[in-house]
Amino acid sequence: MAERRTRSAAGGRRQNTLELVVVALTLTLILTFAIFVDGFATPGNLRVVLSNSASLVMLACGMGVVIISRGLDLSLIAQMISGALVFSILVTEGVSAPLALLIAVAAMVLVGLINAWLIAYAEIPAMLATLASAMFISGLFRFAVLQGGFLLLLPKTDPVVVFLAGELLPGISMPVALMALTLLLTWVLLSQTTAGRTIYAMGDNFQAARLTGLQVRTVTIVIYVFAALTALMAGLVTSAASGAVDFRTVTHGSLLFDVILVVVLGGIPLRGGRGGVRNIIIGAALIATMRNGMTLMNFQTQSQDMLKGLVLLAAIIADNYVNPRDAETDTVGDL
Amino acid sequence: MAHTTRTALRRATAALLMGACAAMGLGGSAHADTNIAGKKVIFVPIAMGISLTEGWARRMRQHADMYGYSLDVRDAAFNMNAMTELVAKAITEKPDVLVVHNPTVQLLSRQIKQAESEGIKVLQVNLQSNQPSAAFVGANWDRIGREIAEDIVKECGAGSGKSGKVAIIPGQLTAADSVIMNEAAFKVFEQHKEIQVVSNQASDWEPEKARQITATVLQQHPDLCAIFGHWDVHTMGAGNAVKDAGKADDVLVYSTGGGDDVACKAVEDGVQDRIWSYDADGQGRDAGTMIDLLLQGAAAADGSMLSVESPMKIIKAGADYDASLCWKM
Repeated sequence: MAERRTRSAAGGRRQNTLELVVVALTLTLILTFAIFVDGFATPGNLRVVLSNSASLVMLACGMGVVIISRGLDLSLIAQMISGALVFSILVTEGVSAPLALLIAVAAMVLVGLINAWLIAYAEIPAMLATLASAMFISGLFRFAVLQGGFLLLLPKTDPVVVFLAGELLPGISMPVALMALTLLLTWVLLSQTTAGRTIYAMGDNFQAARLTGLQVRTVTIVIYVFAALTALMAGLVTSAASGAVDFRTVTHGSLLFDVILVVVLGGIPLRGGRGGVRNIIIGAALIATMRNGMTLMNFQTQSQDMLKGLVLLAAIIADNYVNPRDAETDTVGDL
Repeated sequence: MAHTTRTALRRATAALLMGACAAMGLGGSAHADTNIAGKKVIFVPIAMGISLTEGWARRMRQHADMYGYSLDVRDAAFNMNAMTELVAKAITEKPDVLVVHNPTVQLLSRQIKQAESEGIKVLQVNLQSNQPSAAFVGANWDRIGREIAEDIVKECGAGSGKSGKVAIIPGQLTAADSVIMNEAAFKVFEQHKEIQVVSNQASDWEPEKARQITATVLQQHPDLCAIFGHWDVHTMGAGNAVKDAGKADDVLVYSTGGGDDVACKAVEDGVQDRIWSYDADGQGRDAGTMIDLLLQGAAAADGSMLSVESPMKIIKAGADYDASLCWKM
């Protein structure tokens, strides 16, 4: 037990170092953009940053919980678009919004259950299981629901679309409110429930967690269903704001890369066992600041991707320099 | 000048051949009386499942049924690697005509050259490669870019009382339409120094990326006068950002597209203001006719590319709005 505490303390210090590096980098960028980029340091721009980051943060909450349990969900973006598609197609066909939401939630719970069954019962590695399910889900929903199409355009006149993209209170948009709700639910799950404790135990040492009698299979179901529901929330917010459900986000976009980037940069190691909501906020703040600043500076999308990659490398190098690898951290999958 | 004469000659040749074809069609029988039955045509679009390509394929199939030749559609599903593989496979099958929809100016250029050298006539639809081939049917992107830019100058330039600030949202930097439209638009803007292009960022054709770019640019430039989106589909995201910011009355949203009923709905909903439609339904008919002609041996006298330019329809919000300008699948 004492040894475990020592290991955790060492790991904690390491993660704190990465967090500090990322926080310092974010603050430097904010300061630089505020001085040199016209229109960056304004309340209106802060609202845009928050609103544009809402879906990314929601997805990062789902992915964060999965990664803390030493899993990986590569089907998250496919779930996001499929969930949004189910809801949107029902609403455009005249089904009432609560019923459409209920059906979409049921569909996503089913998807989460399938992922969890593949991982916990069929014992397929999470990466392979979710990679396969991503292909299956996007193919199934595209052909069965969208009849082979790529896009579903939503009318901006639809009251549900207006509600999901509108303002809850003056200055607080619905996407931002849902983002805050997702962060709160993630914190409750990780910090205030038995399932949360088990998630950390699974990430720290899966075999030990199972041998000590923890309900690892049941918790795996909780984890992947929770991830699927965060993906649905992100999908609803994105499709309402842009007025489209677009399957190219699954096949072509760099969103999955951004989600993993947020989680890892924030300080949640890919080997799991550590991290929390604070880390997700830290990672999201860096990516959102970069994205916003580069858009204001009229950078091309390709240049933005390149710079995001460079920042990730810079953070890893700085972290490794400040905190060299040791026997505990020198494992596959660790940052 | 020589180029203009050649272009005019090519168009005249195409028009004559089409006229002859139409005359044959008026003969009264359900099936056209030519010897092209049994020939093989392969169409490789960027993706099916969008109104543009579905609209083309529908009209092409009608021509194939009428003349009795086969039309195989090979869906690249927005996957560029799959597209080059599908085109490579199509070339090995030696179709009589290969119809391609180029995602970028260079992606298929080598394969188009190879197909032509092997005697396969290549028809390029709407998006042109930098490699010429037997024929092209599609929009005149230079004209669209120029006309939209001129309209923006009229609405936002000197004497309009507006800021002159414009945001451009191309699809992809190397896509033929984005390249040509940007060149044409910037030529116009350069002559009007009061026009300031404050943003020119590609959206990868995605509505959500266009929305995020627009929301950010609107904060930086609240006096933005116009947005020029290169495709009506991704411009939906930009238009929604304008609407959500409460600036639908202040910012003009321009785009181009195939002009199906979704475009008219966007104008009716105030998400977009002016759409230069190249009428995908009409383009499908033109492409079908061009395939018929190529199968009958049509070629430009000087061996250059036969070219048919799609007529434009301008879908405008306001008093001039006309829902009949849009087509429905």
